[in-house]
Amino acid sequence: MTDDNGSQDAVVIERSFDAPVELIWQMWTDPEHVKAWYGPNGVSIPVAKMDVRVGGSRLVCMEVQTPDGPMQMWFTGEYREVVKHERLVYTESMSDENGNVQSPSDLGMPEGHPTTTEVRVQLEDLGGRTKMVMTHAGVPSDSPGAAGWVMALDKLAAHIETHGDR
Amino acid sequence: MTTATGDERLDETFAALANATRRAILARLAEGEATVNELAKPFDMTLPAISKHIKVLERAGLVRRGQRAQYRPCALDGTAIEEVSTWAEQYRPVWEARFDRMDDYLAQLAPQRKADEHDD
Repeated sequence: MTDDNGSQDAVVIERSFDAPVELIWQMWTDPEHVKAWYGPNGVSIPVAKMDVRVGGSRLVCMEVQTPDGPMQMWFTGEYREVVKHERLVYTESMSDENGNVQSPSDLGMPEGHPTTTEVRVQLEDLGGRTKMVMTHAGVPSDSPGAAGWVMALDKLAAHIETHGDR
Repeated sequence: MTTATGDERLDETFAALANATRRAILARLAEGEATVNELAKPFDMTLPAISKHIKVLERAGLVRRGQRAQYRPCALDGTAIEEVSTWAEQYRPVWEARFDRMDDYLAQLAPQRKADEHDD
């Protein structure tokens, strides 16, 4: 399936890896492998629970050491499409350690960050090598096609209601 | 703002931008807020005609209007456009770095993989 999301509010990255598609699949689905690349230097992944099946949940903790001690950020989500060695789609939201979704603005994220995003990974077997296309997009509740526009317009509507009397 | 589905509002936004007069109004508002009278001046148009254009822009979330008496100055609301291009782009370097690390990690695993293949 091609990416028919017409919104610009998405990151699309295409990469080729010198590794077979089975291994690239494991990079995304095996917590031990995920821990090796997901976080930058200085960030550890103490928790990576991944129930990789449609409807299965995920819970990932990223821990950063700060002068005030370790700071944890939790991410939860659900697997939406699981086609082994081919396609993986999951949602991602910031959460607490129990997987309760929290709004990004409450957690100090920049304005405009959607509460739920979706990560799509499409793999193509190139015979020992693998082509990967990763798409990270915002997920509006009512219209997958409109993505960030909807979110921005919703916020705008709220903003106008709040500040309209200026 | 009336309730509309996301797609309908997206249609409205693009429809609003697909008009030279409305783009000119947005360009004027980019310099600062203005009343309908001020906005009407450069155009050879009646006030109601300009008002109609402003309503379209307002509905599309591109312009907001104050509530002060009959003046109700218009102002550009760039939020709708700015936000769509920001959060996702903030993530790009994060993912690029992740995939660089994945590449390095795969390289580390490579000798191990060769050894495994040899064992088979």
